[in-house]
Amino acid sequence: MKTSVLIRNARMASGSCPADILVSGGVIAGKAPAGTLPADSAETIIDAAGKLVLPGLFDIHAHLCQPGREDKERIATATAAALHGGVTGLMAMPDTAPVMDNAAQITTFMEICRTDALVDVIPSGCLTKGDGGEEQASYDSLRAKGVRFITDGDRAPDNMLLLYRAMQYASNLNLTFALRGDVPALTARAAMHPGTTSYRLGLAGSPSCAEEIGLETIIRLSVDTGNSLHVQTVSTAGSVDILRRCKPETAGLSAEVALHHLLFTHEDVGCYDTNYKTLPPLRDRKDVDALIKAVNDGTIDCIVSDHTPCTPFSKLQDFVVAPQGMIALDTFLPAIYQYLVQTGRMSWETVVRACSDAPRRLMGLPPVSLEEGAPANLVVFDPEGETPVTDETLRSRARNTPFLGKTLQGKVDAVIFGEQTYLF
Amino acid sequence: MTLFYEPSTRTRSSFEVAAERLSADVTNFTVSTSSVVKGESVQDTIATLQAMKVDYVIVRHYNSGLPNVIARHTNASVVNAGDGAHAHPSQALLDSFTIREMFPDVRGRRVLIVGDILHSRVARSTSILMKRLGMEVAYLGPGSLVPRTEYSGIPRFSDFNEAFAWKPDVIYLLRVQKERQDAPFFPSAREYNKIYGVTEERLKRISDEGLYIMHPGPVNRGVEICDLAMDYERCLINRQVENGIACRMSILYHLTPQTQH
Repeated sequence: MKTSVLIRNARMASGSCPADILVSGGVIAGKAPAGTLPADSAETIIDAAGKLVLPGLFDIHAHLCQPGREDKERIATATAAALHGGVTGLMAMPDTAPVMDNAAQITTFMEICRTDALVDVIPSGCLTKGDGGEEQASYDSLRAKGVRFITDGDRAPDNMLLLYRAMQYASNLNLTFALRGDVPALTARAAMHPGTTSYRLGLAGSPSCAEEIGLETIIRLSVDTGNSLHVQTVSTAGSVDILRRCKPETAGLSAEVALHHLLFTHEDVGCYDTNYKTLPPLRDRKDVDALIKAVNDGTIDCIVSDHTPCTPFSKLQDFVVAPQGMIALDTFLPAIYQYLVQTGRMSWETVVRACSDAPRRLMGLPPVSLEEGAPANLVVFDPEGETPVTDETLRSRARNTPFLGKTLQGKVDAVIFGEQTYLF
Repeated sequence: MTLFYEPSTRTRSSFEVAAERLSADVTNFTVSTSSVVKGESVQDTIATLQAMKVDYVIVRHYNSGLPNVIARHTNASVVNAGDGAHAHPSQALLDSFTIREMFPDVRGRRVLIVGDILHSRVARSTSILMKRLGMEVAYLGPGSLVPRTEYSGIPRFSDFNEAFAWKPDVIYLLRVQKERQDAPFFPSAREYNKIYGVTEERLKRISDEGLYIMHPGPVNRGVEICDLAMDYERCLINRQVENGIACRMSILYHLTPQTQH
């Protein structure tokens, strides 16, 4: 609905005095101290007393699966899920079918986004042709189509020479390489984090040192070639130490953590619960603590969803065979609230920095402004509300979330994005 | 119905003999000739067995946790005959039964498990049951084959002298494999035997102290155990096999057939 909306008594992440915000024609038309804007100035009125107004979040790691894997997810369903989780912008991973390794494929993808996407979507490009790990993809034509990040998807680069040459080639193109630290030889047969749970279940472990060795490697390659590096899905305390040491002296180095690595540990796998099988695996409590600290002190720039839809059948297989990943867009903001903000482990200001400002900066976008004259891009979040996670409430096409059947504390009440207002 | 995704002569025949002695009809769903090799999923295989109204599915699989998946998809009683590195519950029962035959009161008895603890479903299941029965368990093996973090308070030794000093009643040897598809876990069978095997010298001490020897089979002679130890009077390996039939008969007897649900 294209209407004007008045949000009354809006409290911001910074904790500033409540304000009234009037949105009209897709822009913030007015902002004044709470109770001063007249009620008849808008068609819709949202009373935000006790609630929070946040900038729309931006998630730079989501698997949208369309085109090609519509059995898992679609752009329409993933972006509807994103809105429900307070997210108004996404960067899509290139693992569609066929993969996004050339300009034509990006055009096809963006064409679907134009009609189906409810939020902003930025494409990313493959490191290698056909994701085959052998030939460089066409980096410059990808860039011309709006690609900013070149990524190897979930796979970790195994061929160092190929990666080195690709980075050397791309050093003039102002692209960012988005890679994951890993040594595939050490983790190829692993199903989860090594520890008492993996031993109890008889599952092979993916050692933390593999991620850390891989991380050192990709940082050194990017420094040598002069490329920007974005480290994907950091999961160990050791990786945090490496980033803390390298970031001050390394220009263009940024890092993300998947939300599930801040919420769960390897013990949550319980008795082979495949919804807790992720890549990299869920780690130990001390890793979770180190990752949260790293987000708080800025060592890790962004929190991402790593939204990874899987078919129900695939997750019903045994733990060794079942695919990795969980969906996270639907529940993104409520999960952050319940596990991190409500527990006092993270401030709303940090959430805004790690889930909106920093990812937008990496995408070359300015931070979302909630001041008069700015384009409307905001979320009304109710900490007192509840988000039940059921078959009926999930907007994503997939169901592989450990929250299924549970209720999360806090609820996204409304999202106002451009000329659209979504009330939940 | 026996469903073996991994080759096994001993466990499979043991279950077959046990089932036949209870006058059950046994059918082998032979994996190499079944549609499994044609890419049929485990779920679909189980749906097929379910439709055939089998009462018991006895399953062995190379992936840990697969019997749990099967149990979710069938009304038949599922017996885990060994899954990956996870569990081998019938082996644990027959091992504990065998020890009970030797010691009327097993509480406080000490069992030293030697070998590939890390990948052994036998070590896992047997340790759990023995501890539940009040026995004490300790592990001995090379660093590459023993879990790095302590598991339910079980002590880990690095050589036989340390382990002998712990005063075990039973030396339980595990079958070792030098490698599993990828890189080796120890340099050679000879070196393994020298450090972790029951050599003739160690057999002397075992015999002097009156300790029992057990092994789930099949044994690698000259690796885990010397020829002489196979004939040692307190070597319980064949008794374990014999007790395996009784224990597996008992397992099937105590489980309810699907048709009676």
